[in-house]
Amino acid sequence: MDLKLGSDDLNTCVQCGLCLPHCPTYRVTGDETMSPRGRIKLMREVQLHDAPVTDEVVDAFASCVQCRGCEPACPSGVPYGHLMEQTRETLADSGQMTPVWLRAAMKPLAQPKLLAAGTAALGVAKKVGLVPDRLGLGAADIPLRQEPLPTTGTDVYLFTGCVMDTMQRDVHRAGLDVLTAAGFGVTPTGAEAPCCGALQAHAGLTDETRGLAEKMMRSLAPERPIIVDSAGCGAAMKEYGHLLGTEEARAFSGRVFDIQEFLADHVDKLPEVAPLDLRVAVQDPCHLRHVQRVHEATRVVLQPFVRELVELDDDGLCCGAGGAYSVLQPELAGQIRDRKLGSIDRATPDVVASANPGCSLHLGAAGVDTIHPMELVARALSAAM
Amino acid sequence: MYRYAKLKNRVTRTLGIDAAEVESDPFVAELVDALSPDRVKQDGAHRALLSHDASVFDGGNSGPVVFPETTEEVAAVTRAAATHGRNVVPRGAGTGLAGGAIPLGVPVVVAVTRMNEIHEIDTDNGIAWVGPGVVNLDLTKHLAPIGYHFAPDPSSQQVCTIGGNVANNSGGPHCLAYGVTNAHIVAMEVVLPSGDVVMLGGLDAEPAGYDLRGAFVGSEGTLGITTKIAVRITKNRPEVRTLLLSFESVTDAANTVSGIIAAGIVPAALEVMDQRITVAVENYVNAGYPRDAAAVLLAEVDGLADGVDLDADRIAEIGRANGATAVKLAGSDTERALLWKGRKTAFGAIAQLAPDYYLHDTVVPRSKLAEVLTKTYEIADRYDLTIMNVFHAGDGNLHPLILFDARDEGVLEKVHAAGGEIITASLDAGGVLSGEHGIGVEKQKFMDRMFSSDDLDHQNRLRQAFDPGCRTNPGKVIPTGHSCADIQSLRSVPKEVWA
Repeated sequence: MDLKLGSDDLNTCVQCGLCLPHCPTYRVTGDETMSPRGRIKLMREVQLHDAPVTDEVVDAFASCVQCRGCEPACPSGVPYGHLMEQTRETLADSGQMTPVWLRAAMKPLAQPKLLAAGTAALGVAKKVGLVPDRLGLGAADIPLRQEPLPTTGTDVYLFTGCVMDTMQRDVHRAGLDVLTAAGFGVTPTGAEAPCCGALQAHAGLTDETRGLAEKMMRSLAPERPIIVDSAGCGAAMKEYGHLLGTEEARAFSGRVFDIQEFLADHVDKLPEVAPLDLRVAVQDPCHLRHVQRVHEATRVVLQPFVRELVELDDDGLCCGAGGAYSVLQPELAGQIRDRKLGSIDRATPDVVASANPGCSLHLGAAGVDTIHPMELVARALSAAM
Repeated sequence: MYRYAKLKNRVTRTLGIDAAEVESDPFVAELVDALSPDRVKQDGAHRALLSHDASVFDGGNSGPVVFPETTEEVAAVTRAAATHGRNVVPRGAGTGLAGGAIPLGVPVVVAVTRMNEIHEIDTDNGIAWVGPGVVNLDLTKHLAPIGYHFAPDPSSQQVCTIGGNVANNSGGPHCLAYGVTNAHIVAMEVVLPSGDVVMLGGLDAEPAGYDLRGAFVGSEGTLGITTKIAVRITKNRPEVRTLLLSFESVTDAANTVSGIIAAGIVPAALEVMDQRITVAVENYVNAGYPRDAAAVLLAEVDGLADGVDLDADRIAEIGRANGATAVKLAGSDTERALLWKGRKTAFGAIAQLAPDYYLHDTVVPRSKLAEVLTKTYEIADRYDLTIMNVFHAGDGNLHPLILFDARDEGVLEKVHAAGGEIITASLDAGGVLSGEHGIGVEKQKFMDRMFSSDDLDHQNRLRQAFDPGCRTNPGKVIPTGHSCADIQSLRSVPKEVWA
C-alpha cells in the first residue's frame, strides 16, 4: 500500500546500520525488526513493493519509541521521525494502527476542563489504590488541587500545555520564577493554547495535531518568544513549520525556545547565589537532545546553581518514556528503563535532572529521584532570598 | 551473482508468507523447545529483513531466525539443524559489506546479538572474556575507567559485534600499529557444526598443538559459531597527537604516507580521504575538514609526550615536502573525536550523494598506492561512474567506493564490471582481494585470480575438517568449483521449506 512517504526520503537510507546502537528497542532486543534500519526497510517493502501489512509489520512500527536517537547518528540525514509519523498517520487512517480507545483517550488533552477533572479523578483513584500498576505511575504524586499561575509581564509566553499543567504545575511555577528572576515578564498560556499535539502526532493522528497547531498559532500574539519547559512539547512546536508547510508556521516555530535554551543566553542576568549542595546527573530527554539538539544548554544553565554536574554514560539513549509509549508498550518501556537505571546507578547522583515531564514520571515510577532543571535553579534562587 | 534488483521480488514474497504454513515444521518446533517461543521468529518481516546485511547482496529468504542467549542454546540449534539437514548462518549486527551474513539456502539464522555480556575483565592476563554479541565500542567504553581499550576499531565499531570481528578478522584505522583482530584474539569457545563445544587457543602464551584459533579467525562463519571470546585488552597510551594534512592531489597524500613509513615512524593510524568523500563527511560532522582539498590525510601518533611531539613534527615536515597545503594539529580531545567521527561515518554519509554504493576492499603494496589509485579513477571514468576513495593508507588497504542509483537501468552491470577491473588492477600490482571486509559472496569469483586450484582445494579441506556437511554459512568464501557439498546443501532444501 501507499504509505505516502517521499521516495527520496526513503531512498536516503543506505542500510549501513550506524543507527542500530542508538535505537533503544534494538538495544534491548537485538532484533533487526525493532531497529530504524529494519523499520525503514519494511516501509520500503510496503510502499514500493506492496508487501502486506502483517501484524509483525505493524508491531515493528508500533514498537518505535519515536525518540529519534537514530537521526543524529545517521550520516546521511534520513528524516526517520517524519517517515515514522507519516507511516503511522497512513496506517491510523486505514484503521491498521491506533485503535478507537486510544483516539478517545487523546481527546481530553485538548480540553483543559475535562483534563483537569479527569486528572483529579485519577488522583483520587490512586489515593484509594484503584490505579493499576501497568499505567506506570508508580510513586508519582497526582495533585488534587492546583493554584493558578500568575502573569508577571508580557515579554515572553510560558507554554503550559495539557498533562503537564495538571500534573506538574510546580515545574511551570519554577520556570516562571526563574524567567522572572532573569528580568522577563511572563505570560502563562493556559487555556489559550491547550495542547501542542505531540502525542496525537506520535499516534498518527496528524489531523488533530494540525488543528491544535493552527489554534495555537491564532491564540499567541506574534513576535513574542514562546518558552517551553517540556522537551516533547517544544520539539513538536518547533516542527509546526514542517507539519503545516506554511511561512506563518515556520515563523511561529522560529520563536519557540526550550526554557534552558532561552536562559542559556541570559544566564548572566540571573543573580549569583550559593549553589545547592547536590551531585546532579543530567538526563537529556530525547526530544531535547536528538530533535531540538539544544541539550548542552541544560548544563550551561544548571552549572552555577549546583555543586556538581555529572553525565550519564549511555550517549543519550532513550529512557523508554516516549510520551504515551510507557503505557502502550509497558514491557519494552520497562526494559529500556532498566538500561537507563543502570547508567544512573553508575553515575551515583543525589538527584537526576530531566527537562521533560514524561521522562520524570517514567523514571520517578521506578523510584528515581527526578527533578526538572528549573526546579533546581528556582530552589537555589529562593534559598538565597 | 546475487542481483540487487531481484531482492525486491524475493522480499515481497517472503513478507507474504502465511505463518500457519510453517508452524507445523518439526525443525521449528525443536528450536522453540530449545529456546523459547519469543526467541524463535518465523514471520515474514523477520525473514525478509535478515535476507540482508550492509552489502548490496541479497540472500533471498531466510529460514527461522533464532536469538540464543547461551552456548547451550547455540549448540542445541546447531544440533537440531544437523539432525534435520538444515543450513546455519550466524549473524552479528549485520554491518558486513561482502554479504557474509546473508542467508543462502533458507538457513536458520542464528543472531548472536543477545549474547552481549562482558563476562570477565582480567587485567593480570590482559584479557577480557566477552560474548560474541558484545558491540566493539561498548567493550572499549567499558574498559575506559581502568585505562584500557580493545584495539581493533573498524569504522563500524559503534555497531559491529566482536563475534563479527572474529569472523571477518576485521581491521580498522588503528590496526596499523596494533595489528588486526587476529592479533587480539587469545582463545575462543566454539560450537562446531556438529553441535559439539570446543575451546580453540588458550590463555598460555604458547598454546600446545596446531593454531586452530588462527584458522577460525577470519573464517567468516564457515567453521562454526563462536560463543565466548577471550580478547586481548590494550593499555591506553598517555598521549595522542592527531594531524590533518591537506593536499592538492591524492598522489601527494599517498606519497606522504610512503614517506612517513620510510622514515621509520609507526603511526597509530594513517587515513586518506579524497575530496568528494571529505565534503560529504564534513556536511555531517562539521569537524573542520577542508572542502577544497583534493585529498586529506589523517595521521595519528600515540605514546609518551616527548615522542609524540617529535613524530608529529616529522610527519608535518614530510607532508610539506610532499606538497601539503595545510597541516593542522587537533587542539583538543573534542576536536580529535570529531575528526574520527567523520572518518568512521564516511560510508554512511554517502546517501547525500547517491542512494547506493558498492565498496571494494583491496590491499596493495604501499609503494603502489598512488599508481593503483590513479587507475581506479581512470576505470570509473571509462564506465561513466562516480568513484570516491577513502582508505587505510598506512597498510595500503584501499576502499574505492562506486556510487550509483539502483533505480537506473543497467547500472549494476557497469558497477560490477568496473569493480572487477579495480580488483584486477590491485592484484596486478601485487595486492590481495580483501583487507578486512572478507570474501563473503562478493569476492568469491575473484578467488581463483589470487589462489591456484590446489590452494583452493586445500582451503576447502580445512573447511570440511570443521564442517563435513558444509551446512554452516554455505555458499560463502570458497568459490563453487572448489567448495565441498555447499552446492548440494544449497540445492537440497526440503520442498516443504518456505523457499
